[in-house]
Amino acid sequence: MSTLLFAAASGAYGAKIHTPHIDYLSILPILIMMGGAVLLVTASSLFRQVMGVGSATFITVGTAIATLVAALFQWDHVVTHGAKVTIAGSIAYDGFSVFIQIVVAIAMLLTALIADGYLKREGIDGPEFHVLAMLSASGAMLMGSANDLIVIFLGLEILSIALYVLAAFNHKRAESGEAALKYFVLGAFSSAVFVYGIALVYGATGSSNLPQIADYLSKNVVASNGVLLAGLALLLVGFGFKIAAVPFHMWSPDVYQGSPSPVTGLMAAIAKAGAFAALLRVFVSSFGTLRADWQPIVWGIAILSLVVGAFAALVQKDIKRMMAYSSINHAGFILLGVQAATVRGVSASLYYLFAYMFMVIGTFAVITVVARDGDSGHQLTDYRGLGKRQPLLALAFAVLLLAQAGAPFTTGFLAKFTVVAAAVDIHSYALAVIAMASAAVAAFFYLRVVVAMYSPVGAVGDLSDLDAGELDAGPISVASPANAPVSVHGQNDAVASLSVLTEGPPTSAVADRMVRVPGLTTVAIGLSVGFTIVFGIIPGPIVDFAHQATLLFT
Amino acid sequence: MDDYLPILILIILGFLFAALSFVGSAMLAPKKRPTAAKIAPYECGIVPTIEPPTRFPVRFYLVAMIFIIFDIEIVFLYPFAVIFRQLRSFGLVEVLVFAAVVFVSFLFLVSNGALTWGPAKQLVRAMPSRTSESTIARITAGPGGPGGYRDPSGPGPGGTRTTDPVPPITGDPAAPAGPVRAA
Repeated sequence: MSTLLFAAASGAYGAKIHTPHIDYLSILPILIMMGGAVLLVTASSLFRQVMGVGSATFITVGTAIATLVAALFQWDHVVTHGAKVTIAGSIAYDGFSVFIQIVVAIAMLLTALIADGYLKREGIDGPEFHVLAMLSASGAMLMGSANDLIVIFLGLEILSIALYVLAAFNHKRAESGEAALKYFVLGAFSSAVFVYGIALVYGATGSSNLPQIADYLSKNVVASNGVLLAGLALLLVGFGFKIAAVPFHMWSPDVYQGSPSPVTGLMAAIAKAGAFAALLRVFVSSFGTLRADWQPIVWGIAILSLVVGAFAALVQKDIKRMMAYSSINHAGFILLGVQAATVRGVSASLYYLFAYMFMVIGTFAVITVVARDGDSGHQLTDYRGLGKRQPLLALAFAVLLLAQAGAPFTTGFLAKFTVVAAAVDIHSYALAVIAMASAAVAAFFYLRVVVAMYSPVGAVGDLSDLDAGELDAGPISVASPANAPVSVHGQNDAVASLSVLTEGPPTSAVADRMVRVPGLTTVAIGLSVGFTIVFGIIPGPIVDFAHQATLLFT
Repeated sequence: MDDYLPILILIILGFLFAALSFVGSAMLAPKKRPTAAKIAPYECGIVPTIEPPTRFPVRFYLVAMIFIIFDIEIVFLYPFAVIFRQLRSFGLVEVLVFAAVVFVSFLFLVSNGALTWGPAKQLVRAMPSRTSESTIARITAGPGGPGGYRDPSGPGPGGTRTTDPVPPITGDPAAPAGPVRAA
């Protein structure tokens, strides 16, 4: 240490340090997102008395839109000028990274809209929530652009540390603190495992830069590759924790249940987007030559996630726990695309992430408003009769749940179709069959919620008394009204009619059981449902978009 | 092998420091320990079976946070200062951006009352606004009644603001109304 410092000090007139050229365009969305967070924390510190939840939401929404515009500009630039590696090789500026920036920016936008109503309802101070959410989003975006294992780790930590705090944000609920502590302890452990993986890979290949690792592996045959494979395995464990794939999923039900509902939506959307982006880039583009070694492991993790996620969700009574297992199931589906490790697999995974982001944030928006004051009404019985009381809210929820189940004419169906097609492409027939079977199992627990919403209020008792006979009649009678009206009216009408619902006079009998849907949350739910339906019927634009978002090196 | 000599010296120094700390503390610390009865909290003559919860102002954590912030800044500023000439304007700009962001976190802490001593007024936020009408209504309702003021001899430490028995107009829905809390 001391010799190092002396050497550096004496080198003041000697060795020249090459400072990297900073291509600001390639990191513009990340800079805007981080800058928005710093701006908001400054403004809320200086103008504490006048800054309320509303102005914090305003700044956050503005930042998210600015990020989105910057990312769209980047997209145009990448398409016309081509992809490249910038900032001393640490940032990849390609369609893939821009795609992730767009997904995360939209997730942030929707979450800010939902969080506004949540924070006002729960009486929680606003600015810090939005600051942390924006920092977390910037971490996910950095993971999408990172072209170096160390930069991926930086993004992972920025993403995670902000999420640990956000999980604890509702200090009035004890579960919130419990969730944060569990997430923090297990997350810190998995980060340590991840760093150890980086160290081993660096030791085996002599670089932490992804293209250089790929270059080394393509030119050299590592005779005793124990260190390299151990590093690879540890990296996979680190990623597996963040995406909540099965042997590393234990934290997710508790954390999803305890966290404030808007945070759970954000967590499910951006932690998955960021971690899957980095996972795809590391495994497909850096360790592509070693795919014979890691494909069987990813295959196993994918099957475990699909099966455990689908079956464990069946027995959940708490809807947030159910959604946690459902997200594990979704992670298994996205792993199908990773396991394929082809251009088609990568674009299928990206499409899935995009579609899933809208579905899960919309779902948690509905869960947020149905939970009422105190964020506590998460039992399936709380949804009983929602179809009668607030038909449009129930309809939106039904659409989002059916989309997650993979119903046709939604983005969820296409997402599942593309990843299964990618798996079939490389002849992983067993995996494809198990994925489809798990989707059929998963449809059962989504429909259970839908049936609960459209069952009469008078029918008391928990959902275990919903027998198979009730469910047999359910899907057909529910699915057709769920899809038809919104597709006819289109997105704007759906938003308009949802807001009519919030202002309309409550019917006398169930007036006290109506849940209040704030205006901004209505917009967020409307956008989610609109995207899910419109691009489910007209799949072209988004599928092409995901198809063009290719990795720079594959 | 020569390269590892500094590390070896560092390890020896580390162990020496730890050993000296123990020896020094054993030599310098007062020999006479207070008896168990002396350090036990006074509780009306009853021997306490469990330790009572001690109250600790959270403000001390904020002071520790201020230390951490500037500690981290120094950790990065010192190596920067060593190679400041070689990094030229690039390094200067980077460090200025870094210092600005660090300063924002300090600003946030100060705005949260980290340096505000005395009765915690700024730390309590989102309280219902009190008007003369509300006070009159409260007093006329009498103690214990709905909306009545709290018996001054009742339990509960701290200022009147934090235990204000007026049911909040906005905010905290989980908080019980005044009489429930006073009981």
